[in-house]
Amino acid sequence: MNGENNSNDDSEIGSWKKKLIWSWILTIPIALIMLSERLFGFELIEMPYSVIVMLVLGFPVLFIFGYDTIKSGLRGFFTFYFNMDSLIALGTIVAYITGFLSLFDFIADYSGVAAMIMAFFTTGKYVEAKARGRASAEIMKLLQLGAKSSIVIRNGKEIEIPIDEVVVGDVMVVKPGDKISTDGVVVKGESSVDESMVTGESLPVDKKKNSLVIGATINQDGILYVKATKIGKDTFLAHIIDLVEEAQGSKIPIQKLADKITSVFVPSIIILSILAFLNWLIIFRDLSRAIGVAVSVLVIACPCALGLATPTALMVGSGMGAKRGILVRKGEAIQTMKEIKTVVFDKTGTITKGKPEVTDIYSKIKEDKLLEIAASLEKLSLHPIAHAIVVKANLKKYRKVTGFSVVRGKGVIGKIGSKEIAIGNRALMNDRKIKYSDFNSQIETFENSGKTVMIVSEDKKVIGVIAVADAVKDDSVEAIQRLNSLGYRTVMLTGDNERTARAIASQVGIKEVIANVLPEDKAKKVEELQKEGFVAFIGDGINDAPALKQSNVGIAMGTGTDIAIEAGDIVLAKGSLLGVVQSINLSKATFRKIKQNLFWAFAYNIVAIPLAVFGLLHPVIAEIAMALSSISVVTNANLLRRARVD
Amino acid sequence: MKKLKISIEGMHCASCASNVEKSVSKVSGVKSCSVSLMLKKGNIECEDKINIEDIKKAVAKTGYKVVKVE
Repeated sequence: MNGENNSNDDSEIGSWKKKLIWSWILTIPIALIMLSERLFGFELIEMPYSVIVMLVLGFPVLFIFGYDTIKSGLRGFFTFYFNMDSLIALGTIVAYITGFLSLFDFIADYSGVAAMIMAFFTTGKYVEAKARGRASAEIMKLLQLGAKSSIVIRNGKEIEIPIDEVVVGDVMVVKPGDKISTDGVVVKGESSVDESMVTGESLPVDKKKNSLVIGATINQDGILYVKATKIGKDTFLAHIIDLVEEAQGSKIPIQKLADKITSVFVPSIIILSILAFLNWLIIFRDLSRAIGVAVSVLVIACPCALGLATPTALMVGSGMGAKRGILVRKGEAIQTMKEIKTVVFDKTGTITKGKPEVTDIYSKIKEDKLLEIAASLEKLSLHPIAHAIVVKANLKKYRKVTGFSVVRGKGVIGKIGSKEIAIGNRALMNDRKIKYSDFNSQIETFENSGKTVMIVSEDKKVIGVIAVADAVKDDSVEAIQRLNSLGYRTVMLTGDNERTARAIASQVGIKEVIANVLPEDKAKKVEELQKEGFVAFIGDGINDAPALKQSNVGIAMGTGTDIAIEAGDIVLAKGSLLGVVQSINLSKATFRKIKQNLFWAFAYNIVAIPLAVFGLLHPVIAEIAMALSSISVVTNANLLRRARVD
Repeated sequence: MKKLKISIEGMHCASCASNVEKSVSKVSGVKSCSVSLMLKKGNIECEDKINIEDIKKAVAKTGYKVVKVE
């Protein structure tokens, strides 16, 4: 969908290249003429013919190959929207005119200098455009990841159609090695799919009937028949692209000063150059020198290094992230990350897999009977624990439930026949004044092994308990260990009870547990923790959204709900906690790079501009220095790739 | 309030991007505008009843061209 981006970039580089080659073909003779006396000890062409030759050779360099720059630069003087072309245009035209004036013996001839400035400027732009292209390589690859066409079954025949013509419900035939064209569900076939390009997960994922597949991922070994469920803007890839583009447009606080300077930079430099000119003219009474100095000031000033410092580093950084399934949505998170002291985790779906299973049942009535009652109510709830109970019961027919309601963070209530049923945690039982002391020791045993216990009551009497366990994700332990050893305070924040929470926490190495937190209070707890330092919150559920927003850096699991993803500053497509460690390392490395770049860009301008004002730099040297400064900033950003983030 | 994404052609330096931001921000109905030189794209937050032509004109005034509006 963004195919034109790349060609655009290539054409930009290509056009600079063409201009650069022609400019130098004409500029090299000019340089030889200018330097001949110094190089060979005699003048190649004598005055005033040399000036005429340089004016003739220089004309196309400035006004044909440099036409775009001159035009765009001069426009600034009419619209007052100056850009860096304005500086180059003014500098080269002034220098070129001295050529004519010198024929009448007024002043020194800078016409050759004009051509050289333009040639070096073009060269600099070419190198910079190439380096910028390299900086955005990963992101551009992501933007162009989408399939261009798809094989679908229409009227019983396999036909290949452009991706735009695929509609929801089409069955696509995906052969081994082919790209799955859009998001869908497998209706037939078995295979493994390489999802690394979108989730960063390096191992292929097995797919069979009813598995969900992501558009733009690559089918490995078997044929898959996939029914398209989402197309165009609704696909996972389209969402990822939106997130990434949003980040590139977002501003990082540290860039603000540089942006402010950039916006007034060019007019300020024009004024400064006029002042320098007047200074040399009036005080030193040297018109030739005054023109040389004014041109030097114009061409040495470089708003580009300042303006490129942050976006190029951000681009490289987010590209490195995207490759690992880390999507930075808000650029600001990169700056905030280094201040983080506390990392707070949600439990279910974040530390654990979020797919609880019923492991134990302890009941005073028959187990089947208990499950039947429980499942009939839980069928009506959307909670993952409810789902586990329904799966375990595996009923063909459910009992009729009336007056059903969900008590948020506590459980569910309803009536089966005339009997009042309540299923939930201790808080629900306490609220309803139901005694569970007979079951207490059993409940505690389950909880001590990290299981969540649902108490089932009928007419205010407990009839049994169901224990549900949610396995810890494979790499949660490693991730939290690494965070601990990096010196972060790790905290678990969960709606689950203290005992279960502690059991899971000790399994993964988290020391602090805040349990029994109602969904609406999660953000408040984060706020309390923020009093002791910046907090990163990692979560995946709808109820985590306020906490993600409240925290200084919200990291959402991409495997979770859209609402959580919307609220996160960083999204982990893979859903592994190692992504948290990587996000922290990546943010810190990127921010260091941004600081370095801004430092050099400021330092360059602060040193170079005064040198030019005091007449210490020849205009050509000034131009070379300018080109090098912006190239070095972009190249330095590209060096970010060497940082260790894994 | 709605969000617009525009693709811009012709920008090649940081002051170009900052000019576009300044000019588009002045269009009535535009709440905010941020331009990425790297992606050659601008994100605009504006009122629902915005005239796209006004935005295109604002970009053209600074010397660049809107090639796509999403």
